[in-house]
Amino acid sequence: MLSTGMWVEKYRPQKLSEIVNQTEIIGSLEELIKNPADMPHLLFSGSAGVGKTTAALCLARQVLGENVKDYTLELNASDERGIGMVREKVKKFTRFAGMADAPFKLIILDEADEMTNDAQTALRRIIEDTAKFCRFILIANNISKIIDPIQSRCATFKFTSVPEEDVIARLAEITKKEKVKADKKGLKEIYDYSEGDLRHAINLLQATASLGEVSQENVKASAGLAKTSDVDLVLKMALDGKITDAREKMIELIKVYGMSESDFLKYLNSSVFKSKHEHLSKILEVIAKYDYRILVGANPEIQLSALLAELGNIE
Amino acid sequence: MWSEKYRPQNISDMVGNEESRSSIMEWFAKWKKGTKPLLLIGPPGIGKTTIAYLVAKQFGYDLIGLNASDVRSKSRINEILAPVLGNTTILGTPMIFVDEVDGIHGRGDYGGAEALIQILKDPTVPIVLAANSDVSDKMKSIKKVVKIISFKPIPPRLLRVYLENILKKENATLSPGSLIKVIDKSRGDIRSMINLTQSLVTGFNPQTEKSFETINVEDGINAFFKANSVEEARGVLYAMQIDPRQKIDAFYSSIITSNLDKNTLAKYLEIISRSDILFGKIMKTQNWRLLRYLNETLIELYQNDDRIRYSKYNLSWPLLNRIRWDGRKIKSLSSLMAHKLHLSSSSFSTIGLPFVLFCIKNKKLELELEETFGEIIEKEMELIK
Ligand SMILES: Nc1ncnc2c1ncn2[C@@H]1O[C@H](COP(=O)(O)OP(=O)(O)OP(=O)(O)O)[C@@H](O)[C@H]1O
Ligand SMILES: Nc1ncnc2c1ncn2[C@@H]1O[C@H](COP(=O)(O)OP(=O)(O)O)[C@@H](O)[C@H]1O
Ligand SMILES: [Mg+2]
Ligand SMILES: [Mg+2]
Repeated sequence: MLSTGMWVEKYRPQKLSEIVNQTEIIGSLEELIKNPADMPHLLFSGSAGVGKTTAALCLARQVLGENVKDYTLELNASDERGIGMVREKVKKFTRFAGMADAPFKLIILDEADEMTNDAQTALRRIIEDTAKFCRFILIANNISKIIDPIQSRCATFKFTSVPEEDVIARLAEITKKEKVKADKKGLKEIYDYSEGDLRHAINLLQATASLGEVSQENVKASAGLAKTSDVDLVLKMALDGKITDAREKMIELIKVYGMSESDFLKYLNSSVFKSKHEHLSKILEVIAKYDYRILVGANPEIQLSALLAELGNIE
Repeated sequence: MWSEKYRPQNISDMVGNEESRSSIMEWFAKWKKGTKPLLLIGPPGIGKTTIAYLVAKQFGYDLIGLNASDVRSKSRINEILAPVLGNTTILGTPMIFVDEVDGIHGRGDYGGAEALIQILKDPTVPIVLAANSDVSDKMKSIKKVVKIISFKPIPPRLLRVYLENILKKENATLSPGSLIKVIDKSRGDIRSMINLTQSLVTGFNPQTEKSFETINVEDGINAFFKANSVEEARGVLYAMQIDPRQKIDAFYSSIITSNLDKNTLAKYLEIISRSDILFGKIMKTQNWRLLRYLNETLIELYQNDDRIRYSKYNLSWPLLNRIRWDGRKIKSLSSLMAHKLHLSSSSFSTIGLPFVLFCIKNKKLELELEETFGEIIEKEMELIK
């Protein structure tokens, strides 16, 4: 069957009750929105593809009803150039009042942990200034990167990775609707690659299905598509001392594909963990050093190149 | 940065061009719908932008600015300015300031100049433009629909008074010889005079007459690595009077491309990394005094190693081209698609795009995208294993 869009979107739950797993969180969100006027700001944390953004979007739809488009502002911190842009957009969004028919305007700020501490401090100000009409849902992978004063203003929900049986059940449901042949081993294989990241699982499912049936073999043939594999490659080349090659590959990821420097480091870290390298802790130490240097320095490319060169000399 | 620190806060703090300044005030005082827009023409650093902002403040306008970095396509101009020109009540009392209009030219500005001229012909709010020169063709057609006010270089006598005033406030001194040279060298450009003074006073360049003998980047880098002693290398380093960012980057690209073994490369990059940190701190704290330590970090790169030659670029040509052409297209594709998938652009191109391409390649997915993306999708599909 020919698709006209990505399955991850097609099968994104539209109501809180359709969200897989995360039952306690969903229960408590449903409770909270019974009295929307009293709803606090929310902070969702958890790893990728577990339903954070979905929950925020469902909540918006359920509270704001047909006004959801006009009364929701969706921002992704890693796309905004600085807190100034966030402030401008929030300001523009809140300027026009006229909301007799909604309890508040909702601002969903995804990847909030990508903001520097200074930016978060400024964000705190913005949250305060708009509290009268607006609620924020902040979303973060890593809650420890959210500063305390912000955490303290939000009700916090920690999303967990989706367990194997739920992932497989969801995938099976999709294959049925899409009329794709799938066997148990194939679905299990997808789960193993995705590690509880349902977005990755569904993407891999769609890619596999584009080859034919969802068998173990076809899953293997479609795995490793994500550019995170290129980050694995950069790590390997650097550790092998092929600095120039590693650097060109890294710059390709960042400058051609637009991978952010901080995403690069995030994937590099998990790549190191997966590699089970004998100098694991030394490597992580070097990465941490340059992670900090990027924050204080002026040109991330210089810092990342120096990082690769230093990795190439670990022995 | 002193030139920002001493940006005049009131029109009366400005120096030079008194007549031009009072014509601007008069124009504002008499402004009514239909009054021809103003075009301020003059060389850099003499207060065109400054006065535009100050006059707006004094007459109580909300200044809506466009500048060279804005994409000056027709649609962008209309997008930014349409709300201002249309319903003026929601925005208070706006005025439009287009800085560096002479920057509008070439192929990148699709219809930008034409769109602007249309607006200039029928001004419903005060419009002020600024430019350094008025010779290009585009400027000729703009000139027809505006009132021109020229700004002239500031005469040395005024520069001197102004500079001495700043030096007093900073508790700093320049030798009389340097003072004259700074004023002479700045040719009536206050900003460059202030910048040069600051670099001299903060010791980024040692305060000798010799520091006026400048070397360009290429000769500088080559001479640095060929130097016979640290002292010689240091002399070269100080004589390279270029923007610190540019200086660090020049060393960086020269080292990257010089075919060094991995050990040496790591050693040099560590030094560059520290220079970049220092510069980052300076930028963040605006503590320009610290610039004097930058050269002392960079000097560590001198290790009597004459393998290094200047290189402007630090990437292979194919990759540079891919960044320039494909990178731009992928970026606009990503930001479009990322939005639909509720992801950041970075996440989309990492964990979304490859799957999209794979499914399209296997003819199981068709996206309704603008035709302009066809070519890049083809190209990227080929790259998939
Ligand atoms: N007339 C002036 N009086 C005092 N300071 C000035 C004056 N003109 C420029 N400066 C100094 O130079 C800085 C830059 O000035 P401004 O941005 O107005 O320059 P400009 O004329 O718009 O230059 P450009 O053509 O490059 O845009 C100011 O912050 C201030 O420190
Ligand atoms: N708990 C879940 N229940 C149902 N679908 C989910 C769940 N988590 C993720 N998904 C699927 O993965 C996609 C991405 O989920 P999303 O909520 O955007 O993840 P994130 O936690 O990274 O914000 C959704 O469109 C949906 O198809
Ligand atoms: Mg998300
Ligand atoms: Mg200017």
